Amino acid sequence: MSNVLEAKGISVQFGGLLAVNSVDFDIPKQSVVSLIGPNGAGKTTFFNVLTGLYKPSAGSINYDGRDITDLPPHKIAESGIARTFQNIRLFGLMTAQENLLVAMHSHLKAGITSTILRTPKQRREEREAEERAQEILEFAGIGKWTHEFARNLSYGDQRRLEVARALALQPKVLLLDEPTAGMNPQESQVFIDFVRRLVKERDISIMLIEHDMKVVMSVSERITVLDQGEKIAEGTPDQIKNNARVVEAYLGKAKDSK
Amino acid sequence: MAKTPANNVTKSNRKWVIGYSIAGGLLFAIYQFLLPWEGLPIGIYDAVYRWMPPAAVNESLVYVMMALGLNIVVGYAGLLDLGYVAFWAIGGYCAGWFMSEFFYFLNVHFFGSVPAEAPGIHINFWMVLVIGGFVCALFGVLIGAPTLRLKSDYLALVTLGFGEIIPQVFFNGENFFGFNISNGTKGIVVVDPIPVGVKNLGPFDYGWKLLIFMLLTALLVFVSLRLRRGRLGRAWLAIREDELAASMMGVPLMRTKLASYAVGAFAGGVGGVAFATHVNGVYAERFNFAISIFLLAMVVLGGMGNVWGVILGAFILSWVNGNGLSAFGSFYNERMGTDVDFPSFTFLLFGLVLILMMLFRREGLLPESRLKLVLNEEEIEDAEAVGKKAK
Amino acid sequence: MAKVAEVHKFRGTPGQIRRQRIERIGAVVISFILAAWILVNIIESPSQFAQVAVLGLRNGMLYALIALGYTLVYGIIELINFAHGDLFMLSAVFSSYFITVWFAQDESNPAGWFTFISCLFAVMAFGATVNVLIERLAYRRLRHAPRLAPLITAVGMSFLLNFIGLKWNGSTPRQWPTVIPNNDIYIADVRINATTILLFFVGVPLLLALNFIVTKTKSGKAMRATAQDKDAAALMGINVNRTIAFTFAIGGAMAGAAGLLYQQSIGTTNYNLGFQLGLIAFTSAVLGGIGNLWGAVAGGLLIGFIQGLNDGLPIAFGQQWSQTVVFTILIIILVFKPAGLLGKVTTEKV
Repeated sequence: MSNVLEAKGISVQFGGLLAVNSVDFDIPKQSVVSLIGPNGAGKTTFFNVLTGLYKPSAGSINYDGRDITDLPPHKIAESGIARTFQNIRLFGLMTAQENLLVAMHSHLKAGITSTILRTPKQRREEREAEERAQEILEFAGIGKWTHEFARNLSYGDQRRLEVARALALQPKVLLLDEPTAGMNPQESQVFIDFVRRLVKERDISIMLIEHDMKVVMSVSERITVLDQGEKIAEGTPDQIKNNARVVEAYLGKAKDSK
Repeated sequence: MAKTPANNVTKSNRKWVIGYSIAGGLLFAIYQFLLPWEGLPIGIYDAVYRWMPPAAVNESLVYVMMALGLNIVVGYAGLLDLGYVAFWAIGGYCAGWFMSEFFYFLNVHFFGSVPAEAPGIHINFWMVLVIGGFVCALFGVLIGAPTLRLKSDYLALVTLGFGEIIPQVFFNGENFFGFNISNGTKGIVVVDPIPVGVKNLGPFDYGWKLLIFMLLTALLVFVSLRLRRGRLGRAWLAIREDELAASMMGVPLMRTKLASYAVGAFAGGVGGVAFATHVNGVYAERFNFAISIFLLAMVVLGGMGNVWGVILGAFILSWVNGNGLSAFGSFYNERMGTDVDFPSFTFLLFGLVLILMMLFRREGLLPESRLKLVLNEEEIEDAEAVGKKAK
Repeated sequence: MAKVAEVHKFRGTPGQIRRQRIERIGAVVISFILAAWILVNIIESPSQFAQVAVLGLRNGMLYALIALGYTLVYGIIELINFAHGDLFMLSAVFSSYFITVWFAQDESNPAGWFTFISCLFAVMAFGATVNVLIERLAYRRLRHAPRLAPLITAVGMSFLLNFIGLKWNGSTPRQWPTVIPNNDIYIADVRINATTILLFFVGVPLLLALNFIVTKTKSGKAMRATAQDKDAAALMGINVNRTIAFTFAIGGAMAGAAGLLYQQSIGTTNYNLGFQLGLIAFTSAVLGGIGNLWGAVAGGLLIGFIQGLNDGLPIAFGQQWSQTVVFTILIIILVFKPAGLLGKVTTEKV
């Protein structure tokens, strides 16, 4: 199977409002795909369904061959779907390292007794976890902030920490929610390079929700467009750029930079 | 490498451990050896007995133990539990059931500290500590399982409800569906002495009991700190800060919250058993809602999450409530020739502690440096974080 | 294109539908048990049942008045005002002093009745003022703080008011004479005290007045708007601070009235009153659906009724289990149906 995640017929209904209407969405292995659409199109709702925050009213999600539609969020995270948040939701009062260690919670095994006794096994597990965390932090370029409280980091570094924390889940799929919000063009470019490096060096697929069209166009292999809860187009950046319906949905603003 | 917060924590903990050990050793020496000494000037003897009699110190230590337990639930995991007294009660009755002649129709002895002919169940004190802890932990899980997914206000109320129901069950326990489980308001009198090697510590062996209570407290501190350092403690802090983000990072919310309840309840059980040996009995009317709030005030005063702060806060407040107010009262009234009833000001004191601390110093006397920030920052609404556009 | 037909048909995810079914079955079972219990007792001793039911409903009226305060405040700032029950207690003490100490009335005569009516206004003003003060001094500052902070403050405030009650009333319960007609009336072998009837005569108009204020006046509309969405209300020009203060004021006034009615019909004051009745009243608010005014009334009457039956009937748990029964109801509702009887389950779009 060349898709690491397959969502079929996802619908999400809130009371009388159909926010997402029967959307199919696949994420191929080791790819970068984007989900775009005007405000209120249902992107974030769909995103939240993929991570288990909402249960869909209809449809199913298959991940790595398993049906994960009914799993609680922490189990979905545990199985390898990680996400970042649009408004940064780091654990501000924990250090960068601790933020990552929390994300490793489901992969660590120490129980209450072994923690209290600090058995050799537990100590080794903690040490290895800290080493892994350090490696990820360095990969993300914030290795020097390992023991700094997350809320003291600069905005850019906090964004990197968000991604680093998500990576600590050892995900096969990484969902990024408007990762370049608030970034200037240079920072966005750095981010684009980072994403490319991620896909190349780690066996990972990335899905973006983005408003910055420059980023979307330059980094995506495939773009899906939602409008009013429905998929109205899907294809390569070139195909989407020239798609009349997409242009119409955005009211003529095809190239948009924040 | 720069000074890391992690290094700082270990260093400051070491300071406190040393301080605690010194204080403990001093207290023990004073009450066990200095006070009974005939050569001690009568003035000092009287002063000590007036302001801090050994019974008061021991009782304060029991409160410290309970506060440490509550600290795990409220301080680490951020779950507001207003019914903690229930665990105190359950622990106490475990002592009453397994260390007295309550079950007079049975004769079970297991390393007990009374002669073999004595009727009832008599299990070794140290084992009953563990039994009481586990029974309470079980109740913690039973109570927590259906209720921990409620949001914080409702959780507070539900725990309040249990904090009322369970003591009331014991209060009416003389006839609970036909069984006598608690002797009702008469209580279970005379709990077995504590066996330590060749000696049996009865209700008047204050000095040795003080040492034991300090050891139990130290054990609870040890457990708290170790758990905090490991993955469970990190999970608790994450939940306290941002439950949603924690669950999206793989932290199983229910299981982790239940763990905090269970561990906290265990400490409550230990404290309950200890208290039963301190007052030499288990009396239903001592378990009331106000105690739960007292404990909360102690945790709040000390600094939610900081074990040393909680120890200080608990010791201070329990002393004031137990002995301090009345001692100060008689002192003041003698000097001023007045007749003010100081002990009745307890509610005022605890109410003000809670209100003023929340208004002006939410981080507590000895804040965990991080907490200062958590309680002073605006709450991120879930809605905002997962994408609802700000207006 | 969104299919309109689909939108209406959607009943919920499989998990939700299962849950609704369980809830429905549970509700039927519980109603059945309740009905059976009531029936058995009616058959056993009909006159005692009627007696006890009347008493229960009277208490229920009091609970309803207090519950309104809880539900109004929770509806608008999502805070459980733990101190509200103690405000009720202080109002009862206030009424005692007003009528018997300051105005020296201790009989049911025209002078007494006049004092009663003046006291009604006075105690409502008292309740309103104290409640507004509490909000202003303590809760307002913590409006944007993490949930734990205002909750803990409310608990502390409850203790504070409790202390004031202790000092004002003394540590033992006190008896007070009644200045409204308090003779017994017999209706079909059931003894009803005149105060009970008067309680309804005062209480029901108060409820109707409250309903009028909330639904028909501008302040009332402001309250409802703020309760739904504080920020939007502010953007519409509503003074949120003043509206919240207004909400506390009416809630406090209701508690005040309840205090007077309690003191006159039951005749005793006790500094612990607030805690006991407060929690029962809050259970009523939750049972009826927190945030819903008629729910608070319905919940209050229902809880009063059930509690009265439990305490007074031969086939019941008895008075020593009264608190447990009420709290068990609270826990069951919060765990299984937090929206209560009349509350709406809002599917929020996050």
